[in-house]
Amino acid sequence: MIDSLSLGIGSLVVLVLLIAIRIPIAYAMIFVGGVGIAIVNGSDLLFNQLKTLAYGQFSIYDLSVVPMFILMGSLASRAGLSAALFRWANAWLGWLRGGTAMAAIAGCAGFGAVCGSSLATASTMGRVALPELRRYRYSGALATGSLAAGGVLGILIPPSVVLIIYAIIVEANVVTMFAAAMLPGLLAVVLFLLTIAVYVAIWPDAAPRHGGVDRQEFRAATIGVLPVLLIFGIVLGGIYAGFYNPTPAAAVGVALVWAYGALSRELSFGDLIDALKETASTTGMIYLILLGAELMKIYMSRIGLPQATAEWIIATGMSPMLVMALLLLGLIFLGCLMDSLSMILLVIPFFWPVLVDLNGGLYMTAEGSGFGMSTEDLKIWFGILALVVVELGLITPPVGMNVFVISALAKDTPMIETFKGVIPFFAAEIIRVLLLLSFPILVLWVPRLLSG
Amino acid sequence: QDFTFKLHHFLGAKAPAQTQMLEPWARQVEENSDGRVKIEIYPSMTLGGRPPELIQQARDGVVDLVWTVNGYTPGLFPRTEVFELPTVFKNDPVAANLAMFDMFEDDLKEEYQGVEVMFLHVHAGQGLHMRNTEVRTPADLDGKKLRIPTRTGAWAIEALGASPVAMPVPELPPALQKGVVDGAMIPWEIIPPLKIHEQTEYQIEGHDKERFGSTSFQVSMNADRWNGLPDDIQQAFRDASGRDWWGKVGEVWRGTDNFGIELAVKSGNTHITLTEEETQAFRDALAPVVDRWIEDVSAKGIDGDDLVEKARDLIADNTGAM
Amino acid sequence: MNSRPGLAGAAARLITLWALLGGVLLLVVVIVNVVSVIGGVVWKPFPGDFELTEIGVAVAAFAFLPYCELIGGNVTADIFTARAGPRLIAFFKFLASLMALIFACILLWRMYHGLLNQKDYNYTTAILQIPLWWGFVPILISLALLAVAAGLSLRDSLHSFAEAKHA
Ligand code: NA
Ligand code: NA
Repeated sequence: MIDSLSLGIGSLVVLVLLIAIRIPIAYAMIFVGGVGIAIVNGSDLLFNQLKTLAYGQFSIYDLSVVPMFILMGSLASRAGLSAALFRWANAWLGWLRGGTAMAAIAGCAGFGAVCGSSLATASTMGRVALPELRRYRYSGALATGSLAAGGVLGILIPPSVVLIIYAIIVEANVVTMFAAAMLPGLLAVVLFLLTIAVYVAIWPDAAPRHGGVDRQEFRAATIGVLPVLLIFGIVLGGIYAGFYNPTPAAAVGVALVWAYGALSRELSFGDLIDALKETASTTGMIYLILLGAELMKIYMSRIGLPQATAEWIIATGMSPMLVMALLLLGLIFLGCLMDSLSMILLVIPFFWPVLVDLNGGLYMTAEGSGFGMSTEDLKIWFGILALVVVELGLITPPVGMNVFVISALAKDTPMIETFKGVIPFFAAEIIRVLLLLSFPILVLWVPRLLSG
Repeated sequence: QDFTFKLHHFLGAKAPAQTQMLEPWARQVEENSDGRVKIEIYPSMTLGGRPPELIQQARDGVVDLVWTVNGYTPGLFPRTEVFELPTVFKNDPVAANLAMFDMFEDDLKEEYQGVEVMFLHVHAGQGLHMRNTEVRTPADLDGKKLRIPTRTGAWAIEALGASPVAMPVPELPPALQKGVVDGAMIPWEIIPPLKIHEQTEYQIEGHDKERFGSTSFQVSMNADRWNGLPDDIQQAFRDASGRDWWGKVGEVWRGTDNFGIELAVKSGNTHITLTEEETQAFRDALAPVVDRWIEDVSAKGIDGDDLVEKARDLIADNTGAM
Repeated sequence: MNSRPGLAGAAARLITLWALLGGVLLLVVVIVNVVSVIGGVVWKPFPGDFELTEIGVAVAAFAFLPYCELIGGNVTADIFTARAGPRLIAFFKFLASLMALIFACILLWRMYHGLLNQKDYNYTTAILQIPLWWGFVPILISLALLAVAAGLSLRDSLHSFAEAKHA
């Protein structure tokens, strides 16, 4: 019999080939996993497992928060929250050189706190901020680049669909993961704002200076954002305070955003229908990928690939930090081709056990461990690092989904300009990864604070 | 090897259930068969699905063997449930396991359709973990929110005047920490993996380790796979799963439970053992749970009275047996 | 979707309506959770919220699958074939739709047997004791509609293939 490593590599090659010929990633995984199980263990076994497998996956309680946060984000896009956020950020930052681009970043960060997805954040804030940026004659590269990069904040700032899935795979507490993402998320905002400041210092023409808003607008914008901040406070504050777990919190969020939209008269019945349709297509896509990934996982376990990979890596004698660095580089590379969720679902089930072994076992404490931290901490730290690097794929060519979304909105800016505009932000992200790699405390501090 | 079996379960590879129960059992079967049997253990649901699907996976032959909690599929094992009832299961997992063994052929076997049971067992019993409430009487639990362990555990919580709250086990530590629930009914053995001692002040149990019911588990093989095995291989499994082994499993779970409560006490928690009189007040409050169960299963044509009586008698006969 | 005339158009509208019903179910789950949160504050939490959420979200997610297939919502990587001609692309789309169709049919067949199992063995939820096979009924309808949606994409791909030939 062929050894598991070659069988596994062969299957992954088939998977990539199928993805390359435009088979949806979910169906490619379902096909390779399903056919693989049928060949290795017989079709009866596969068919029997299919009686309950999909229902079992779709009814995981921890996953129920995903469609709820998607619905909350879809409603928020249509309820005027994004406009209120941007107006406020622009009132406070707009007077600076590059201030309106900074306001777009801040708006994305704020919207990211209610929305679990990057694309939704990029397109929502893009619709609000792009006309303003063009009105102040910002260069196409800076305007679209800031928005494409800012969209990434949608997933870096909790809630985040990718982080929820990661937590389920490695059996981490979702709230702990959200807490861990807070400080790195804020760090991203700060670095993005600094990036814009440096950018406009070098190329002042990219962002013509314009006056600030008057006192009346300043007050109106500030008051206008208060309900939005209140919604954040109730939803996220409630989660961190432990008042409820993420699913009821997201449900409360949906209700509050709905109420906000109804009271502000921004959310029509048609908007509600559109929000439900958007939730349906995004949720359907995510759940189908989850099913495909589960079939792949079963197939890989049955041929013994995770153990074989772990043994192989450990046999090479590489240091833990080198393995981590190579893994992150591999994810950045894969991110050029695949979407972040599929990557997390394919890669983490494999490599998490390897990292656990390298660290010295599941119950390892910091002393004598491979990474100099307990395995519990490693789980948190690695999750945030993986989240950051898989999201980089959203702004890297050739498949940079955020760039596509913004390009579609900015018809007068060629896509190549947007990719150019994104480069400084990409550099900022690399700096951030290096900071998080060197100072794990940036990730671990808030969870420790919350757990007392 | 001539016969390879995949044993699938929901806990991690380092859990005592695997290292102290499933692995020793599997190695014993392998040894009994002179190395013709090999049992591969797949922890953490690595062969796919969610824990409630385990029993169906065994029935369908998706895997050969499973270790699972009967209560994951409520209503499927109503007869065995008698061993989960408060006041029926009191304080002795060894006696309960031996009683299950003695009742198995005549009273329990019929509900294990599509599988061949290797062995059944209970854990050491539901203890009461409280954030900051010192509980001495059922009245102390009035209006408190407690996480439920099982279907009948929810009834027990209601009978004590508290509110049952359902949540996944991993959510329990933060829920305790922040007061989403005031406490939980689970065995002491859960304390170390979830660090429950950090979120609670009190662990409460009755006189002489008496608990508020238990949870039943099974290790079972796909029936067709079993029936297709030659006699000597079946015998290798049978010899590893005899009456002594069922009792031994009770000792294993008693041991991990003791380890849990020792950890909590060492970290400064208060371990309350109720007096005999205080325990009696809980028994009186919990008595209706048994009646409710008898009524519930009689709707399925099961003589609950008879099962309760037999289980109580056999547990009493086997108490202190090992 | 409006571009599809006659029966195909009616099927597309039915699939969209079914997804919206799934969305309404999701809203019901939202309400159950909100009520449970409020109940927990003012009186006591509703113990069945947990299992209603599990079933409700699962049924809703299945109801979303046909719509997702209908509008081509499943993520693909188009970059490798960005320069491919329209016929080749139509052929890839044909393969993808065929895969979706086979998947939908197999899952429909298998989950029908899943339903029978759930019924035979009388699987229920823990607290409210809801029979799980109830959830399987709308799920089977969703899978049948997924097969229809895959059939529509298959038909579309054949159309594009024929058009590309004439062009
Ligand atoms: Na977010
Ligand atoms: Na990319």
